Amino acid sequence: MNLRRMSTVAGFVALILLTGLVADANEANVPVTEVTLDNGMKLLLVERHDSPRVAAGWIAHVGSVNEESGVTGIAHLFEHMMFKGTETIGTTDFEAEMEIMAELDAVRAEMEIEYTALREAKRRGDVQGNIYLPENQTPRLAELREKMKKLQEAQREYIVNNEYDKIYTNQGATSLNAGTSSDITVYFVDVPANKLELWFWMESDRLLNAVFREFYSERDVVREERRMRVESDPTAKYDEQFDFMFWGSVPYHHPTIGWPSDVESINRAQAQAFFDTFYAPNNITAALVGDFSSEEAIELAKKYLGRIPAGQTPPPEIITEEIEQLQERRMTATADTNPSVKIRWHAVPFVHQDRYALDVLTAVLNGRTGRLYKAMVEEQTLATGQPYAGFDSFKYAGQFEVGTDLADGVTHEQAEAALLAEIEKLKSEPVSERELAKVKNKELANSFRRLQSNFYLMFQLLIYDVLGNWDFINTSPAKIQAVTADDVMRVANKYFRDEGRNFLSYFRKEGAEEDPEIAALSGQAKSMAKQTITQINQITDPAEIQGLLSQIEAMKGQAPPEFQGALDLIVERAQERLAALAEGTGEEE
Amino acid sequence: MRRQLILTAICLVFTAGFIAADSEIPQRPEELVYGSIEWNIPDADALRTELSNGIPVYAMRDGQFPLVSIAVYFRGGRYLVPVGQEGLHTIADEVWRTGGAGELTASELDEELDFLAAILSTNIGDVTGSVSLNVLSKDLEAAMALMMDVLTKPRFQEDRFAKAKDDLIQGMKTRNDNTASIEGREWSRLIYGDEFFLNRLPTQASVDAITSRQAKDFATSLIRADNIIVAVSGDFDEAAIKVLLERTIGTLPKLDAPLPAIPQPDHNPEPGVYVVNKEDVNQGRVSYGHIGYRLGDPDQFALLVGNDILGGGGFTARMMKTIRSDEGLAYGAYSSLGFPTTYPGTFRASFQSKSSTCAYAAKLGYDIIGEMRADKVTEEELTVSRNQFVETFPKSFSSAAQTVSIFALDELLGRPHDYWVDYRDKVSAVDADAVLEAFKTRIHPEKMIVLVVGNIAEIMTGHPDHEADFTEFGPVTKLPLRDPMTLEPIVE
Repeated sequence: MNLRRMSTVAGFVALILLTGLVADANEANVPVTEVTLDNGMKLLLVERHDSPRVAAGWIAHVGSVNEESGVTGIAHLFEHMMFKGTETIGTTDFEAEMEIMAELDAVRAEMEIEYTALREAKRRGDVQGNIYLPENQTPRLAELREKMKKLQEAQREYIVNNEYDKIYTNQGATSLNAGTSSDITVYFVDVPANKLELWFWMESDRLLNAVFREFYSERDVVREERRMRVESDPTAKYDEQFDFMFWGSVPYHHPTIGWPSDVESINRAQAQAFFDTFYAPNNITAALVGDFSSEEAIELAKKYLGRIPAGQTPPPEIITEEIEQLQERRMTATADTNPSVKIRWHAVPFVHQDRYALDVLTAVLNGRTGRLYKAMVEEQTLATGQPYAGFDSFKYAGQFEVGTDLADGVTHEQAEAALLAEIEKLKSEPVSERELAKVKNKELANSFRRLQSNFYLMFQLLIYDVLGNWDFINTSPAKIQAVTADDVMRVANKYFRDEGRNFLSYFRKEGAEEDPEIAALSGQAKSMAKQTITQINQITDPAEIQGLLSQIEAMKGQAPPEFQGALDLIVERAQERLAALAEGTGEEE
Repeated sequence: MRRQLILTAICLVFTAGFIAADSEIPQRPEELVYGSIEWNIPDADALRTELSNGIPVYAMRDGQFPLVSIAVYFRGGRYLVPVGQEGLHTIADEVWRTGGAGELTASELDEELDFLAAILSTNIGDVTGSVSLNVLSKDLEAAMALMMDVLTKPRFQEDRFAKAKDDLIQGMKTRNDNTASIEGREWSRLIYGDEFFLNRLPTQASVDAITSRQAKDFATSLIRADNIIVAVSGDFDEAAIKVLLERTIGTLPKLDAPLPAIPQPDHNPEPGVYVVNKEDVNQGRVSYGHIGYRLGDPDQFALLVGNDILGGGGFTARMMKTIRSDEGLAYGAYSSLGFPTTYPGTFRASFQSKSSTCAYAAKLGYDIIGEMRADKVTEEELTVSRNQFVETFPKSFSSAAQTVSIFALDELLGRPHDYWVDYRDKVSAVDADAVLEAFKTRIHPEKMIVLVVGNIAEIMTGHPDHEADFTEFGPVTKLPLRDPMTLEPIVE
């Protein structure tokens, strides 16, 4: 499946952090040539001549953390727009398109007036639900929407669909894609070695002359993406709310894919302003890894990327720091999922000096020889699968989390207590020399493994450069090597405070799993039993159940043998229900 | 040694495109002039040797990093699981490596491997599998000894066996939790039939029936000299590795009892629309298509290129253009047409859209398939698609590990190495007539299965602005959700 315009690349950031530990700096050194162009764009070059391909990418130092209220999701939506072509690519007549797009924006502005009125009506309670739903459409909106549709059709006459992709694909480029996370937006492709100039042509063209055509239909695509990734996923919608609960003041609290209200209202002018602010060359790092000559690449970079004018003003700094959490917080979700727990604390941003000790601490807990598995699987049977620890450090803040799925019959409290006991142990006893050595050995091997793929190396260089500096790939090994057992104990005490805990417990939704005794029945009998028992559980009047019971008793003699088991079960459940009602524990549905 | 084990492998001549820095920037990218790349496929025969017990070895050195990989590929897998023991291959796979080996208990083996920073993993797939090791070259000897214990003396320790069973059971409980897993399961059943080995899925009863002895026998019976092929890559000493392999894998006995043939599907599904209801989602998942073809099919390359133009090529394909880019109805709209070596693949188009527009998006997709069968594709589409296949081909062989793995699997599956040698020529030979003919004769809209998973009431209601109805595609059959533990239909 195509990853294109994934809403978050937190996945690969996490992957990088897991492998971001090295024991011997001198061994796994990446020879990177770093060049800064006159306009401020940074270029990172790594030559490797074993396959006739080049992994090529660039990263904008911007993500959803830079978004303001009302336009959440714009960093990601914008990323989609960067594939819509330029003044040259994707069009047969740019001038004609310009006129239509101006008209489209004007219609959109008129619609915005209607939406403003609808928002107000919704606040008053005159309108229910999402203001963008068809049933909330005003006559004026319907008229404007019709107008918009006509204009879009007119513009389509001039659009060469997905030409940006087509040009690359026709020349043997693959993996053309992009990703957005809270801190970064990265654009990448893999090109044949003899076609590096094409990459410079295409990327400099979209940085200079991007045209956000098909803006409003692409916004619908992003809405579908949100439905797919969040709203139709059994747990993602709750995880999103857990993130929202976890982050206080620092702007990591909103999802990268954006709140639905915002995604449906962002307009082209807002996207243009976003581009002007955050896509200046001085806010971009590019990287090439593969079969090319650095000398030639630098000449091409000057020629193509060098023509992009430097930004007028630097992008606004993120000023707001995370507010200290004063009391533990808890969220409980009931969903179509196996029961699980997680506990999350605030940790440190990517460049923080305590990160190395936290990386080691995480590795001590993880894996089949890690402490969580030993405690929760081998010594006590509390966990299903493998319990985990995860340290994610973002640009401006970080988080540390432990969690597990529960074994059958284990309560959420038991699992939480076991996880917390391991955290307490880290606070009170130094980790053993053997554990420390094992973690460092693993990370030595991983320091080479993570360099094997050109594409992956390109990602690491780009992402590290936004979060801190690309040279993290070369400097982190020695820092990891220097971590001591005391360091691990010190950071455990510093960051894992009781009042800083955030709990998320998942419970399986009732009814998502079938009653085993009903499941044991078959055919019509099963269907009958299921329906009747469901009905019985909704009855609140004991007399009604009594009536039903006497009916069943009367029927029982005449029922065919294959129904006897089902009837017995119904009687049993009806009596249970009666008992429950008598004790006053019956729940209203 | 009868033959030099390792020969120079990649014959790669690269001529860089000459670029004049002060030249004008062309108006359009088509005006750029490129140098040429001459790239040849590594010679499989030159990389191949045999151990004294007859086991073929493909080996390719790459000294960039001090790591070495050894993979033992074997024939056999899920298709060999006896009826009533479904889940056996999954459990055998999990406990093989994690259940201890030789003199070491499970946690001792874990600890040894972790301390060596070695990654030792097993994979029992549908028709083949592997046991593979990746380790720092300095630790190869020690890690290889552990790998041999796992290959020949696995312990399948009871506590780890119980844990693997429990993990499988817990995973089964999530079978109806999201629409994607329901869709995948029902799609395969509709296409291949319930009896085909891909659809014999574990149930509570089948998992309960499995013993650790059966799991152990299942795994170890596959490791024998006449059933495996070895692939070696990375930073190794040529003479030393030869000795090491002889001393270890070279001692495995032959049994010469061929495995049973891989079963072929025997199922004629009733064309039509099949729906599974899951109420609490606002997006439906739709798949449509029919059974496909095997590797080596005479129309393979015409279908490959045609499918790329239809929906396989992502953003350059017709489905994505219409359903996503023009209409904004889906995040992704694709078609796929795989050519497995040992049984027929499937032709399948799929997308996800908000409930109200599922039928309309499906109709657009149907129309696009119809166009592929009625009219020739354009020369531009053909060029883009063929170039894409031809130019990206070297990527498959971009590392020593990939190269030896491809060649080992060729030999294991009976796929000739020539398949790769001729690949680019065969793609280049596909023309518009061939695509049209292949789509007319091998893609059958009237035989298609349409599977819809989501909030069926909303999906069937449709959208006022987009007229379409699933009943246009055939009779509608409601499929029950299946009990996650028994896979019996849940009666409502």
